[in-house]
Amino acid sequence: MQRRDFLKNLGVGAAGAVILPSVSFAADAPKPKGSNALPYKDALNAVTGGKTPEVSDKVSLKVPEIAENGAVVPVTVEVESPMTDSDYVKAIHVFAAKNANSRCIDVYLSPANGKAMLATRIKLGETQEVVAVAELSNGKFLMASQSVKVTIGGCG
Amino acid sequence: MAKRKSLIKIKPKSFTDGEVVKVSFMVMHPMETGMRKDKKTKELIPAEYITKVVFEYNGKVITTMKVWESLSVNPVFTTYMKIDGAGVLKVIFTDSKGEVQETIEKIKPKG
Repeated sequence: MQRRDFLKNLGVGAAGAVILPSVSFAADAPKPKGSNALPYKDALNAVTGGKTPEVSDKVSLKVPEIAENGAVVPVTVEVESPMTDSDYVKAIHVFAAKNANSRCIDVYLSPANGKAMLATRIKLGETQEVVAVAELSNGKFLMASQSVKVTIGGCG
Repeated sequence: MAKRKSLIKIKPKSFTDGEVVKVSFMVMHPMETGMRKDKKTKELIPAEYITKVVFEYNGKVITTMKVWESLSVNPVFTTYMKIDGAGVLKVIFTDSKGEVQETIEKIKPKG
């Protein structure tokens, strides 16, 4: 009897396994682009005014190397700066290089912040690079970047 | 429209005058990109996202954030702030539908 039950269960299991993969995936239609769509290079140029930002250790960008869920990717940008009236970080920009609209957030700081730091959570559509650009009060641009592997996309 | 749930968190909870503290602003917001399709009707869900967040401390603008749609649902914005006397911290956000809402937190430094 036990053997019979076992075989029965096996049969049910096999049937289930056949049905499961047959759930059809809808054909990928071309993804619609939002009205704000702007590729990364253009977005960067718009921020820096054509200047090339310098890769610097002063900007520390903390993003997970592998993001399981692209819809919520924590990002922390910290810029080393005394934050005095004469020398402070004017702005921090965060870009996601392959999102349709690569701009994520532009933060305009003032000396009253005391410390140049930004933490937030962004959406990433696919595996791509996250770039942080810091604009200093003397007109210099510093940047840091890191690639993030996304297992499940966060857009669409 | 109904008021959205929002919250300002300051770390550490007790601070003295002149101290630099961490300020987080959280808001319940859908952050719809306008590129996502409704699974049932196959129609695009209209865009609805926060466009601007302003941190105001005693009437002085400290931080301005320009926000795009690629921020997560129910976003959190964290920065630092230097405590400069007792007063009010106001965080005002504007979204793409023109909705404006402000959240107020009293600042009371110790000693």
